[in-house]
This record gives sequence, structure tokens and C-alpha cells, in this order.
Amino acid sequence: MSMKGMSKSFVGIKVLKDVDFDVRQGEVHALLGENGAGKSTLIKMLAGLYKPDTGTIVVDGEEQKFASTSDATSAGIATVYQELLLFPELTVAENVFLGNYPRKAGGWIDWATVRARTRDLLDQLDSHDLDVDTKVLNLSVAQRQRVEIAKALSKNARILIMDEPTASLVESDVQRLMEVVTQLRDRGVGIVYVSHRMPEIFALADRVTVLRDGTHVGTRDIGDVDEQQLVSMMVGRSIESLFPKADAEIGETVLEVRNLNHGRHVRDISFSLRRGEILGIAGLVGSGRTELALTLFGMTPATSGEIVLEGEPVHIASPRQARDLGIAYVPEDRGLQGLVKPMAIRKNVSMAIIEKLSSGIFIRADAEAKITRDAIERFGIRSRNIDQAVGELSGGNQQKVVIAKWLATNPKVLILDEPTRGVDVGAKAEIHSIMGELVKQGVAIIMISSELPEVLGMSDRVLVMNSGEVTDVIDRSKASPERVGAAMTAHRLEETA
Amino acid sequence: MMSEAVAQPARRLRRQNFAQRLFAEYGQELVVLAAIAVLFVVVTLVNPRFVNPNNLVTIFSGNAYIAVAAIGMAMVIMTGNIDVSVGALIGVLATIAGTLAVSGYPIWVALVAPMFVGMAINAVIGVLVAYARIPAIVVTLGALSILRGGLISVTGGTWITDLPPDFLIAQKRFLSVPVPLLFMIVLTVLAFLWMRYTAFGRSIYAIGGNREAAVATGIPVERRLVTVFAIHGAFAGIAAILFATQLQVIQSTVPPNLELTIITATVIGGVSILGGSGTVIGSTLATILFATIGSALIFVNVSAYWLRAVIGLLILATVLADMWRRHGRNGAAA
Amino acid sequence: MNYRALLRHETFLAVLLAIVLVVLAWQSDRFFTVANLLNQGRLMTEIGLIAIAMTFVIATGGIDLSVGSILGLVAILLGVFWQNVGLPLPLAIVAAIAAGTLAGLFNGLIITRFKVPPLIATLATLALYRGLAEGISQARSVRGYPEWFYVLGQGEVLGIPTQLWILLIGALIASIILAYTRWGRTVYAIGSNEVASRFSGLQVEKTKIALYMASGFAASVAAVIFVSRVSTTRSDMGTGIELDAITAVVLGGTSIFGGRGTVLGTFIGLCLIQALKNGLSLAGVKGDGTIMLIGAVLILAILISNVFERSGSR
Repeated sequence: MSMKGMSKSFVGIKVLKDVDFDVRQGEVHALLGENGAGKSTLIKMLAGLYKPDTGTIVVDGEEQKFASTSDATSAGIATVYQELLLFPELTVAENVFLGNYPRKAGGWIDWATVRARTRDLLDQLDSHDLDVDTKVLNLSVAQRQRVEIAKALSKNARILIMDEPTASLVESDVQRLMEVVTQLRDRGVGIVYVSHRMPEIFALADRVTVLRDGTHVGTRDIGDVDEQQLVSMMVGRSIESLFPKADAEIGETVLEVRNLNHGRHVRDISFSLRRGEILGIAGLVGSGRTELALTLFGMTPATSGEIVLEGEPVHIASPRQARDLGIAYVPEDRGLQGLVKPMAIRKNVSMAIIEKLSSGIFIRADAEAKITRDAIERFGIRSRNIDQAVGELSGGNQQKVVIAKWLATNPKVLILDEPTRGVDVGAKAEIHSIMGELVKQGVAIIMISSELPEVLGMSDRVLVMNSGEVTDVIDRSKASPERVGAAMTAHRLEETA
Repeated sequence: MMSEAVAQPARRLRRQNFAQRLFAEYGQELVVLAAIAVLFVVVTLVNPRFVNPNNLVTIFSGNAYIAVAAIGMAMVIMTGNIDVSVGALIGVLATIAGTLAVSGYPIWVALVAPMFVGMAINAVIGVLVAYARIPAIVVTLGALSILRGGLISVTGGTWITDLPPDFLIAQKRFLSVPVPLLFMIVLTVLAFLWMRYTAFGRSIYAIGGNREAAVATGIPVERRLVTVFAIHGAFAGIAAILFATQLQVIQSTVPPNLELTIITATVIGGVSILGGSGTVIGSTLATILFATIGSALIFVNVSAYWLRAVIGLLILATVLADMWRRHGRNGAAA
Repeated sequence: MNYRALLRHETFLAVLLAIVLVVLAWQSDRFFTVANLLNQGRLMTEIGLIAIAMTFVIATGGIDLSVGSILGLVAILLGVFWQNVGLPLPLAIVAAIAAGTLAGLFNGLIITRFKVPPLIATLATLALYRGLAEGISQARSVRGYPEWFYVLGQGEVLGIPTQLWILLIGALIASIILAYTRWGRTVYAIGSNEVASRFSGLQVEKTKIALYMASGFAASVAAVIFVSRVSTTRSDMGTGIELDAITAVVLGGTSIFGGRGTVLGTFIGLCLIQALKNGLSLAGVKGDGTIMLIGAVLILAILISNVFERSGSR
């Protein structure tokens, strides 16, 4: 399969300029680029979701014009999207064969075949434990992903596009997925693998193509490049220091948590946090990191245990109370939990301090405008004006709006949950430098991140969680990927010192 | 958050036995069925005349048209849409049938025409929803006014009398089963099988469950929506015939609140208002439940004036029980 | 962006209203008279009050179908409190309105505490409240209220129908609240993204409960005015009024999915509907023909405004 001279514009903006791309049978071709580089546009054209403005797609020597996804499917191309496109109320078997059912005479679906072939496909993926009759809503993310892959295989796909397949997987599932990918490659399937994660790319890919600002920067054999080169190809410059750790003065203890409990994911958690400190929380997805943050923030109030803020025991039963006590939380899911996308920047920035910005019940529009302009300037939010809808901003700028919203409350403790997920490298550095600036001002930061280099690079101390419990607390000087990784995956250590 | 919601049930996800699976899949239907059974037992103990065959026939066949209309409504709601105009549509179609029957057209024309008119009207609604992307509640709110206003301004609310006896099929029996009952059962079973076992039927669930995914899977979502609305119109046509022919006369007005009764039956029967889940067996059972409640109250001597209040209370109780059941099953994580 | 799209819809509606007024005035010389217009204001007050509260409810992404039944229930309770319980009429009015507000509170509690979708919750209470009205009234109507009571529904203040004052003042206060206060901001925020609102420390549950109470309150006030206007109480009062109110709100540009809408838009929508009803009946179209036209106007207005919005913003 090859694509030549692919271009695409939206609303007059060229998002893809004359890009060539190809994938051979039995190879994994990684596609790399920052957010907005044009990766998703490219693969959506390949999947038949978008029509290219110019360019040709050739599959097995035949030129193809995809008018719809079914055209791409019949050409042997299948896609496993980042947001898995499954139907929660339908069973596994149905999801695999939906729109593609084997029929009996009279148009009735041959359910026996559907179930048997699903079983067979899942067995090929070593998923013997998956029940084909379970509704998909009962499955974990990793299991759903295997259903998606089975679905792709059911169409006899010879080219499989995988869009950030490991973005929401825990480590053990990543391993398993990589085995599956390798196995598919060995069977002759051509795989387009979109990912941010360098280790995976180096482990899996045969070749790698980098896109930047909608243009093709280069295609290399994996043996010919190293990580540094790929990063500089992506961002167009070499990043001197990815994680500038600002040295801030660490002061007295602000927050003290003792034996905190909530449900199965926050169990007997104790730690302390000091002014000017960045406490990184590492752990697998599902280890209870976010749940701990939500408990501190009053979203899921603690069922037992103590929270002491500046020496005062406090009870936090709602985000509102947390806010009034000086705890801020920049959530994991920006679009769902952090922003009201159709609303103006101004209204988002003022959301958490709307009472303070009001005289009685009336909002002081001038004060609101001022605080927004200050935030735009301070954080370098690139926008047309303060009335622009937040949904129109890029991911990085959206994240800065969420941070601005919470910093407007003058928090003593700032909890950042995956603060740089889905933002490009430039914005990431900016967010890191904002964090540096904040700790200098004496704010205490708790940072949850799945990106180990970020945790190690930014934190003064690293707290590791596993199955809802704290398994290790490590000082910056002693923190190594090995030690953190071990604590993340190990069973609970007996009484860590 | 996400991870918790997903990881939690995954652990206890293994092969379930038959009873567990039945309950997981048809929980709401079973709840409604149980409610009907309990009601029957209790009311019969209070007043044995309740189970008199004549009374049962009256209960079931008198409300069969609601069940038939609820089948189409269930399909529409499963796609994530709604139709508040169906009551008015049934009124219009009943009047059309009656008018044709008394103006000398062959009886079969009078009986079949409502189906096609219903399909045509609802296809237009479907086009507005699917292609013009106007929310279904807005379109059908407008359609409700148009149909209701149109009906009364054309007919003036007069009664259609002297209906030919052959036309009154709802009063007939086939193999000694009352025709409305037959329609209700046969249509429910057919619709259930169709939705359960055909590609088109499954795509209704898919569209309601995850519209974008349905598009990406290659389902022609817009076309399917129009078709679903049209099918719903056909069911409304059949319902109109059953409704129009159960008495000797047809009053050419819209039965008040009929759309609400139909929607309520559908939802109580387990069709999620958000789309993507439920069965038509549930909606039919819920219709039977309502009918049983209505009749039972009379048999236990509840004043007719309090009838609606008690029904309202029972609906509310069922809704709350349903919510309680769902939250219990999925945890509070959702 | 959004804001402009919204203004566009209202401008479009206002132009439509102007055209309708001109055409109707030209059609019939009895239409554009002060007496007639004031009388129309009298007639639209009950739907108007309900529609204003409904604007808030729909802007949060909710809906309240039970308002017609609350209206009926409050009307019946008013009669019962006054005639059967023997309360003085002013006290009976207050008690009846309080009961209607409680009915709204009940809606709010079902929706927030039990997480029942508003459509279903209020569908259930629609049946319940109407049933209560029927049960309490036993099909009796209450008449013979003291003369002063009719001032509310049939009298005038400064030459303008009493209830029109109530509607105008209510609309003014409501539009200020929605546009300029943090309460209004909270309403829009909840309607656009409820989760993010909760994460931002906004009081989502309290706001919703307050809005369903306000909706019950508005329906209750409408009930009292209704009784005063027609001099009697019946248990079927207000049947179907929820659909009229929702039509006005949606016609006025409030998104049925929440997050968008203004009181001004609702008010214009309301005037448009009333003008059409009145003008057409003056032109000899029977009352039910006008209902038909309103349905068509609703669909067309949303269709056209959709087309505008798409071509404008994309």
C-alpha cells in the first residue's frame, strides 16, 4: 500500500501538504508527530473517513478511491481507533461482526458462525478468557482493544492501522499488545502504528515516518535513528533539556494525609507535602492515583482517615470545600472534567472564582475580563480574544486555560493529573516552566503522570502507588526508573520504611 | 475514574450461568413480568372476579393498540431519538381509516391506508431528524401541533358513525383469539426477533449505542434513521386501526396524552431513554402492566377519581426501582 | 462565536415577528389595536411564566413536562384550601403556591438524588400530579371567588392587564439573572458540561433543584392567574401547556441539549406564537388551524436557524 501527494484542507487551512506514505506486507511502520502534525488526518484518509483533496492511494498496485469506510474495508484496510469504536450494549461477538455478518438463507444472521468465528479470532489473539457473549460494557480497556483487533481481523484486513493503541493501557497489557502486533506482522499484515511512546516504537517498528505541521519530514529505518533524532525531527529543533527542574525553596508542611481511605482504590494512604515541593505520583492506570486526587479534592470524600491542611484537620466533602480550603485540581480528562468547551475563555477562567468576581449575585464583567487577560499573558495562551470559545483552542492552550482557572483561586496545594497528556512538546515545556514558577512562589504541587521521565524529571519526591496503596516514597536523588518501576508493579512491600 | 469503571466489572466477568445471563440481559422485562404476576395474585385474592376471562380479554385487547404503537416507539427511542407526536398521528390515521371506510372505498383500503400514510408522515420526520439534524423532540413537537391542529380543523372533531361491520376488525376473533391480542403478540414477537437477529435490527442498537462508531463501521446511519421512523409510522398505522375499530364510532380527535402513555410504557419496559438498549418485549409487558393496574384498581374499589394518581405513583415507583437496579449493577462509577 | 450565533437567532426571530405583525395588521384592522394587543398579553401570561422558568430548565439540559399537571393541581388546591379547608383566600393562595413549589422540589429531588433523566422523572410526575388533582377535586369545580380576586386575571393596573405586569416584571428579572449573574452562568455551565461544572466547584445539584422548584413556582403562579381569569377551577386545567411552553422556549433559540438560550428569545417566541394564534383567528382561521401553523413555524424556524448557523460558523 502506498499513498502519494496526500493533501487535505479544512476550512481553508491546509492540515496536510503533499505527504507520501507507504506500508509493506509484514512490516510495522510507525507514524510519529506532535499533536496537530496531521497523523490522524492521514490515517482517516486511509480509512476512508476523509476524502483527500489531492493524492492517490494505491493498494496492491491498484489505485483506490475511498468514498466511505466500507470501501477501505473491502480494500483490506482496517483501523483500531484511539477512542475505541465499540457498542457497549452489544456482545463481543456482535461487535466483531457488526455490519459484516455472515448470513443464512433469507438474510437472517448466522449466529452460530458469528460466535464460533469470534471465538476463533480471539483465540488467535491469545484471548481465551474473553467470553464472546458478554456485553462489551463489562470489558476493560485492554479487552475492548482486543475486540477491536479481532474485528479488524474478521474483515481479513491486510493493513491494520493502530492509532495510539497503548495510550490507555497498563504496562502488562502493553506487553501483551506488543506481542499481538508482532504476531500479526509475522503473519504478513502491514501495520501502521501511531504512537508517542519511544520505547514501543523502537521495540516494534521496522520503519518510522515523522510528520510535522502537515508535512512529511522523513522516513527512516529504525536502525538508522535514535530517540534524540526522532524528537528533533518531530519538533524541528533539538530540545536541550526536556524537564527543566527549577530549584525552589522547600518550606514547612502544608498538607498532611494520614490513613486516608475511599473504596478499593484509596487504601490507608499517608503522606505529607511541603511548600514549594513537587510530589510526583507514579503508578499504573488503575493504581488509585486519580482516585486519591479525587478524594483529596472532595469529589469522592474520604470514608476514613485524616487530612491536615496547614496544621488544621479538615473535612473535605465537595470540590467546593476543597477549593475554599485552597486545594485545586487540574483533572485528567480535560474535555470532560476540565473545560466547558463551547464557553468563552473568559467564562472558563472565572469559573472557580465566580463568587469572588461578583458583587452580590452580579458578575463584575470588567474584573472578569482583567483576570482573563492577565492569565492569557502570563501563561501565553494563544487565542484571538477573551471571548473565543475554549473548544477552538489547541490542546496545549486548553490545558493552560484549565491551569489558569485553578491558579485564579490562589491554591496552596495544586494537584495536576496528567498535566501534559495530549499537548505538544512546546506547550509541555511551557507547562513545566509554569510549574517551576509556581513552586518558587511557595505553591505545593502534586503531579500525577504516566510518563516516567516526566515524574522523575519534575518531582522532588516520588510517591508510587499500586492497587490503591502507597508502595514507595522516593527522594529525587534516589529515584530511578528501575526503583519506581519495581514499586509500580510489585506486590505491596511489607512496611516500607 | 475511567479506569475504575472499566476495571471493576472486568474482574468478575467470567462465564455466567443461564439465570444470571437472563437477568443481566432481560432484567427490566423480568421485573415488569414479576410486577404483573404479583398484581394478579393480590387483586385476585381481593376480588376473584378479576381473573374472569371476559375481564382479561377486555384488559388486554383494549390496550393492545398502545403496545403496538410502543413497539415502533421502542425502536425510535433505541436509536436515541424520541417521538412526542405519535398520539396525534394515531388520531389522524384513525380518522383517515374511518373516513375511507364510510366513503365507500373497499374495506381493505381503509385498513391498509393508515400504515402507508403513517410511514410517509414519519419518513418526513425522519428526514428532518437525520439529514436536517433538528433534534427529534423539536421536530415531533412541531409535528404534534401540525397533526393535532390539522385533524381538528379539518374534521371539527366530529364523530364518524355507521362504520361498516367488516371494518371493525378489533372486535373480531381469529381462531377464537381477539384480533387485537393477536396483533399485539405476533407483532411483538416478530419485532423482537427482527431486532435480535437481523443486521438491520442490530444496527438500531448500534446507532443508539454509539452513533460515531456506527458511522465508522459503515452503517448508513441517516438512511437507517429515516427507515426506523417510517417503520414506527407503520406501527402507528396498525395501532390506529386497532384503536379506531374497537368501538362502533370514531371520534376524530386525538386521544389525550396518548403519546405520553406510549413513551412511558416503552421506558418502563426497559428501553433506555438515552438509546442503545432495551427490547420490545419489555414495552409490551409494560403496556400490559399499565392495563392491569388500571383494571385492578377498579376491582379493588379504588375511586375512579384516584385512578390516575395511583397509576402515577406506580409509574414513579417503577422508575425509581429501575434506577436503583441500574445503579446497583453498574456501581456509582458511571 | 456562540454568542453571535445566538444573537443571530433572536434577530431572525424578531424580524419574523415584525413581519407577522405587519401582515396580520394588514389582514385585519381589529388586530393592531391597543385593546386587542393588551388582551393577547393577558392570554399569554400563563404560558409565558412557565416558559420563562422552562428556559432555565432547558438551558441546563433538563426538561419539565409536569408543569401542566402542577398548574392543574395548584388550581384544585386553591379551591380546596379556600372552600373546603376554610382558609382566607390570600392564605389559600400562598398555601397552594407553596404546594406547587414543593411539587417542583420533588421533581428536583428525583432528578438529582436518584439520577432519573428529567424527561422520565417529569413524565412520571406529570401523571402523578394530574392524578392527584383529579383525586382531590372529585370532578367538582370551585366557583364564586370574592370580587377582588378577579383583579389578578381580569383586571388592569395603569391600563395594562394585571397579569401582564407580572409577566413583564418576571421576564425582566429572569433575563437579568440569566445574563448577568453567577446563577445564570452556572445554568449555562451545567447545560454545556455538567461534569466540568462539578469539578469547578459549582453547585450543580442545588442549582438544578432550585430550577425545578422555580419551574413549579412559575406553574403555581400561572395557576392562580388562570383561576382568576376564568373564574373557576377544574382538574384538567393546564393540560398540554407544557408542550406550548417548550415550543416557545425552543422557538426562542434555547438549545434542547442545554447550554444555550435567553429569556429574550423565549419572550419573542412567545409573542410570535400568540400573534399567530390571534391574527389567524381574526382572519377567520379556526383555532385549531393556528396550532398547525405554530408547529410548522417551530420546525421551519429551527431549520432556517440551523442553516444560518452552519453557514456562519463553518
